[in-house]
Amino acid sequence: MKVGVVFCKCGTAITEKIDADQVQQRLKKLYPDVDFVTVDLACSEGGKEFVEAYLKDKGIDRMVISACSPRDHENTFKGCMHRAGRNPYLMQMVNAREQIAWVTADKVAATDKAVRYLDAAVRRVMLHDKLESKQLDICPDVLIIGAGPAGLKTALTLAESGRKVIIVEKTPVIGGMPVRYEDTFPKMECGPCMLEPIMGDILHGPHSADIELLTMAEVQGVVGSYGNFIVQIKQRPRYVDPHKCIGCGECTAPCPVSTKNPFNYNLDEKKAVGFTFAGALPNSVYIDPEACVRFKGESCQLCKDACPVEGAFVFDDKERVLERNVGAIAVMIGSEVYDCSRIPNLGYGKFPEVYNSVEFERILSSTGPTSGEIKSRTGKPPENVAIVHCVGSLDSKHKDYCSSVCCQAAFKFSHLIDKRVPTAKITHFFKELVVPGKEEFHLFHEAQNNTKTKLIRYGSIEELKVSGSGERISMEHPNGKGATEKTIFDMVVLCPAMIPAEDTAKVGKLLELTQDKAGFFDEMHGRMDSSLSKVKGVCLAGTCQAPGDIQRSINQGLAAAGTILSGLVPGRKLEIDPIKASVDAARCSGCRVCNSVCPYKAISFDPAKKISHVNEVLCMGCGTCVAACPVGVIKGNHFSNQEIMAEIDGVLS
Amino acid sequence: MTFEPKIVGFLCNWCSYAGADKAGASQMQYPPNVNVIRVMCSGRVDPQLVLKSFKAGADGVLILACHPKDCHYKEGNYRAASRNRVLLQLLQQFGIPEERCRFDYVSAGEGERFSKVIGETVEAVRALGPLELQ
Repeated sequence: MKVGVVFCKCGTAITEKIDADQVQQRLKKLYPDVDFVTVDLACSEGGKEFVEAYLKDKGIDRMVISACSPRDHENTFKGCMHRAGRNPYLMQMVNAREQIAWVTADKVAATDKAVRYLDAAVRRVMLHDKLESKQLDICPDVLIIGAGPAGLKTALTLAESGRKVIIVEKTPVIGGMPVRYEDTFPKMECGPCMLEPIMGDILHGPHSADIELLTMAEVQGVVGSYGNFIVQIKQRPRYVDPHKCIGCGECTAPCPVSTKNPFNYNLDEKKAVGFTFAGALPNSVYIDPEACVRFKGESCQLCKDACPVEGAFVFDDKERVLERNVGAIAVMIGSEVYDCSRIPNLGYGKFPEVYNSVEFERILSSTGPTSGEIKSRTGKPPENVAIVHCVGSLDSKHKDYCSSVCCQAAFKFSHLIDKRVPTAKITHFFKELVVPGKEEFHLFHEAQNNTKTKLIRYGSIEELKVSGSGERISMEHPNGKGATEKTIFDMVVLCPAMIPAEDTAKVGKLLELTQDKAGFFDEMHGRMDSSLSKVKGVCLAGTCQAPGDIQRSINQGLAAAGTILSGLVPGRKLEIDPIKASVDAARCSGCRVCNSVCPYKAISFDPAKKISHVNEVLCMGCGTCVAACPVGVIKGNHFSNQEIMAEIDGVLS
Repeated sequence: MTFEPKIVGFLCNWCSYAGADKAGASQMQYPPNVNVIRVMCSGRVDPQLVLKSFKAGADGVLILACHPKDCHYKEGNYRAASRNRVLLQLLQQFGIPEERCRFDYVSAGEGERFSKVIGETVEAVRALGPLELQ
């Protein structure tokens, strides 16, 4: 072992305060075998060459470099070590410029401090381990959970760059919530039409061969970590071969069974065989085994008889369990709306003419229960409609946050009611108005300027009291002038808070994702990394991470795609920095304290061996587990107790 | 001659060490008594390292972390803070007054705050006099 100290003068920035000769003399007394050399500007091209030549010529294998902050040039000098054929981790840097020369008024004190720091660094570097970074083979394929706008855009972007993508979608249809919306804010674009180019490309585009779309499927198991996940997917039987079905719908009419249609929020009925709604993609019918009489023992096959394609119906279709290897997972499972019946004074679930926003979207849709006609259940167009904003949002009794899209949806409703039922009067009841963005204010202004439309602020949702009998419902409400009024409405549309989807906890558990206070998936950083989860290799996008609109979801999906494309490159190995924690297996007591303190879930417990194990891919090298281990058997590479204690001895000597 | 205390300062790499660099770049002068040991995260500061510092002759110890919610490693600073509360009790058992061990937060941009914390810590430990371990 030969230790060399390189003392950079940094022009005169360091030597103005620190006496290099005195440092050399005092160090020589402490460590006669340690070599010492000064250099003018170590970070310059000439300086780097000098350092490399010095290491080689003098046979130095461990270097202490006294210069600027390691935050500036640690990697520069690690490069010198590497090029000189030395292990770059056998180096210790002393921050003589930012933390001594520039901050110490007294020259003697500065020189003393430099000697202490160098003493510490020499002691420390002698203990350094020859660490090597590891290279790991990766799988560049990607799993996407959820085929909403974010999931589809992410999938397509990845496939366009040649990646293999597996999309797992729970329902029989792709497109998420917006395919159920005939008009989307702010420009009244039709949801399915807007998504159609992406959905078309996913199904039949030039890159569709790289996309495996699994509808009616759910992830049921995940093992492994970033770069190499093994995912188990369960796919329910469709009883129809989607590749053979031509989507003509001939099978639907003969079907003798009618059942509630969950895609129209049970506002109408559907057959046991058919589409979720007209134009649903993939363009293939499916059989609902809960409704179909064949699955109750009858021999009915009217659908099959009506089908013009041989072999499209597969009555003996079975549930499949598939296994796929992927390098990254993107979770984009969306959200749902708050249950308005939790606010009983609004009459939701009690009075049939009180709708929530997603039900009303279906009423507005030409593929919905009323074919887009706005009418009450008795068939009459409404004369007076109440639209209630902030239902469960910005409310400490329900959801603290603002759901950010409801005001815009509410003003869209206002626009469409006015267009389709020009005689109708509309009253908006709002707690706060939120219309951010460069286009979103148009619909708000339209409502504001419409003489048939009123906007009334309420203080608390409890101030709105819906009552009535049969068709006639009335609402007691503040009138905007400090008093309370009772008005008859024939339709009430509630705009509830956006909440995490029912499956959030289940998916979260599979992937070890944490959820925030409101139940949305925790992101790595709210501002800087909102498309990354706290688990490495698991990305997030859309409303499963936070309430938001289509634009935000798509952008976040693209950000996730970018992260995946830059992190997992085919042919390139995953380089694992060696500054990690490692458990001494022979001495681990299996107490699992480390498992609970790791912020990256990088430490797992092996129940067979009863010891904990650090996953090097997930470990970020913070060392919290090292400090937490009650028996001291976790070592922090490059920051071991031994190394730090030697440094303490050095600075205090 | 005034007593010059020896102090060991554990600084996390991402916030407080960067804050110290910021103080340096702004050429703020502060007393030279605090000897900085860089760790990746304040969560790495094992109470053993603090005890070791006192045993090796430190009159004071300073632990600086990222501000709450700013930890580069998400929650290492919270671990450090909660561990510090236990540590202070432990120090008292060793006869080391808790005033000799300061835990605080300095961000990467807070050069001025860093030099202020250093100045205050040095003065506080100087006032306590040399540490005499039994």
